[in-house]
Amino acid sequence: MRKLILLPALCLLAFSAFAQHQFGNSRISGDFGFNGMYYIPDSLIGAEKVDSKVRGNAFINLLYSNGGFSAGLRYEYYQFPLIDFEKINYKGQGISYFFVDYKNSFIQVTAGNFYEQFGNGLTLRAYEDRQLGIDNSLLGGRIKVTPYKGVYIKGVWGIERLNFESYIGRKDFVRGLDAELSFGEMFPKLQEAGFVANVGGSFVSKFEKADEEINVSVYPGTDSATTGVIPVNKIPQNVASWAARMSFGYKGFRFDGEYAQKMQDPNITNDFIYKKGDALFLSATYSMKGFGIAASFIRADNMDFRSQRMEKVNSQLYINNIPAINRQYSYQLISDYSYASQPNSQIGVQLQVNYQIPKNSKLGGKYGTDLTFNFSRFHNTDQKPVALASEYGTPSGTEGYTSSFFKFGPELLYQDIGLEISHRFTKKWKWILAYNYITYNLEKLQGHEGMMRGHLVASDLQWKVTPKHSLRLELQHLYTKDDDGSSIYGMLEYAITPHWFISIGDEYNYGNPDPVRRLHYFNVAGAFVWNTTRIALNFGKTKEGILCIGGVCRAVPASYGMGLSVTTSF
Amino acid sequence: MRNTFVFMTILASMLFFGCDRIESPYLTLSETEEVTVDFPDLDINSVYRKVLIEEFTGHRCLNCPTGHQKLEELHGLFGDTLVIVGIHAGALAVPNEGEGYPYDFRTEVGNELAQEFNIDGIPAAIINRYPQAGGWGPARWLTKINAVDRSKPLAAIQLINEYNAQTGMLKANAQVTLLEPCSNQLRLAFYLIEDGIVKPQLNGTEYIENYVHNHVLRASLNGTYGTLLNTNGYLETGKGYTLAHKINLSGLDWNPANCTVVAILYDRTAGDVLQVESQKVM
Repeated sequence: MRKLILLPALCLLAFSAFAQHQFGNSRISGDFGFNGMYYIPDSLIGAEKVDSKVRGNAFINLLYSNGGFSAGLRYEYYQFPLIDFEKINYKGQGISYFFVDYKNSFIQVTAGNFYEQFGNGLTLRAYEDRQLGIDNSLLGGRIKVTPYKGVYIKGVWGIERLNFESYIGRKDFVRGLDAELSFGEMFPKLQEAGFVANVGGSFVSKFEKADEEINVSVYPGTDSATTGVIPVNKIPQNVASWAARMSFGYKGFRFDGEYAQKMQDPNITNDFIYKKGDALFLSATYSMKGFGIAASFIRADNMDFRSQRMEKVNSQLYINNIPAINRQYSYQLISDYSYASQPNSQIGVQLQVNYQIPKNSKLGGKYGTDLTFNFSRFHNTDQKPVALASEYGTPSGTEGYTSSFFKFGPELLYQDIGLEISHRFTKKWKWILAYNYITYNLEKLQGHEGMMRGHLVASDLQWKVTPKHSLRLELQHLYTKDDDGSSIYGMLEYAITPHWFISIGDEYNYGNPDPVRRLHYFNVAGAFVWNTTRIALNFGKTKEGILCIGGVCRAVPASYGMGLSVTTSF
Repeated sequence: MRNTFVFMTILASMLFFGCDRIESPYLTLSETEEVTVDFPDLDINSVYRKVLIEEFTGHRCLNCPTGHQKLEELHGLFGDTLVIVGIHAGALAVPNEGEGYPYDFRTEVGNELAQEFNIDGIPAAIINRYPQAGGWGPARWLTKINAVDRSKPLAAIQLINEYNAQTGMLKANAQVTLLEPCSNQLRLAFYLIEDGIVKPQLNGTEYIENYVHNHVLRASLNGTYGTLLNTNGYLETGKGYTLAHKINLSGLDWNPANCTVVAILYDRTAGDVLQVESQKVM
């Protein structure tokens, strides 16, 4: 444990020794991060006693570059990780990422680990989100070529990272090809006239050796209950997906669309069905001075695409990513009700309208008033079991179901109706007031029973005391009779830019149906920033819930204690 | 441009093989039997962790009788907490009529296990299927058995056999109860072994015509690695999961009175046998 505490200090000393080194054309740079916590058990909030009270996540990135050549590595130390990460099995240490890369104007070649995304990610998205504990980088090789201005071709081959597990002995890998034509770059006159036009396509295939048959329960719950077997020769070892995309824009208008299809992929998340999966993403935006509108549509059905067919842990070994198109909020009280993208069954729309009441008008005041209206609604997809699935009492080992493409399924997953008003009264005072009515399917999105319907009112008042000193007061109230009931939240933050930040906050779950669980979750935090280094301390309680970023979520266990976070780059 | 064309051709041909198309039907209804016996209530205090030793052997292997002897010593030492399965596999298990070894002890299951564990020299054994390429020689068997953590049982297997002497049909029924949480998929295999088979065996330079072969693996009732319990292999602690499989012994030269069913609860992901149980056929 002592090592864990000394780690950030030692690294900071080490960095100061060779920070920002430049040797001729060569340059060495990097960054370091440590996030640790001292845990205190609290049976009331459900913060369990942990075997190692002091825990932390640490990493260091080193990058060497010289002209078109670069090489880098990341060392991660998660031997005693924060409990959030231990619960998703992100535990271990070692060099988790390394690469060498060369690029010029025609070609780029990468060997080692790399991140990549094709289009909107419907077929391939290898990315890292350190907060979520996601790192599905590919270990292998990548080639990008630009044979002609505006023509981009990429090819990848690699094995996906799975936490700290060894790549040796893995029986799965991913390969893919992507091409994009940018007409604006090919024909500059189009661009000059205000047009944007791109088309692209991708093909991704995974291989996973099929060496074990899959057992299926047939006629469950009846006297004829028996076991069925999907034999090894009926399990596809090569599963492909493809997508076609286009984008078009003219001045303030832009349209993006992508359609993807996944071939037969029986896996544990889709109950081993053989139906093809598909996804459609459409987005249109229009903006002019003082007004903007954005509308999106998404449908995804049977599109959970992973390197291993028996993997079901959320966020692990995803090859693709179905984006969440709903508006993302940072409000504390509705963070537990963030929509998690459902790659196997979702259809929904998102609409956002922004309008600025003009400056110097009666309602707009001296600085104008910004209004943002938002609406989003997501359902499951329409699904009717095929005859064989009805006969067997299970979709497994059949085509599963048929689905009417644009029809919304019967179950509402998530709905958000919101209005936000942002107004600057004076140079020093600014106020944001928001209201949201959220409907959240607890059963489908979190595995709990029922629906949560709640009204959230949030206020954010900012006062710039002096050019360097500012104060921010955030107040929120969630009113609901469902789930954990109503809560209020308040947070006061004082900042002395650019070096100091102090905040104190408390969440009170006053409406919990269980009087014993009407608890306070306080938090005191402070941060010091010096050049590229940030050191933050916090003490308080965290409520059990979920953390979602871009529609990808992970569980957050209840915790109580003191946290230390250090980040720096050099 | 030419380079791009070559690059595209290589990638396109690679991707051409990137999709398998499977024709229906996809599912085969297995011969899994309905469990027809009632299992008594489980007394957790009477459960202890048993150890599985799978010995690879062969009738033309000159050192194998030494291995058999070592196994009997270990059996005496550990009693019923050690379950022995003798697997005849590899070149020295191949029948050779000319040399006086006409009988074929080999099984598909045994061959697959020998391949899986890269068994190249015998006698060798694997203990609780810990992944050890080539297995261990007799000198290390005791150490490796002692290395198994038997401080607490991880699971219980209740095993009841039904044998119909008229038809020769043997049905093995098992109920598995997980006693410690396990996040990996678990499968249960029913093996049939036979004692007292009198057949030739080489012992050093000596040809023993009436050698008694014990613990000989005859067959599996449900494949080399068994069947995933609860259809997907994931079990809840404390809950009983049942499984039954049949095999017909009629027309075979196996003596049911000398046969035993061995039930193996296997975590293939971790490479560990959580529990093993044996029960005489009759």
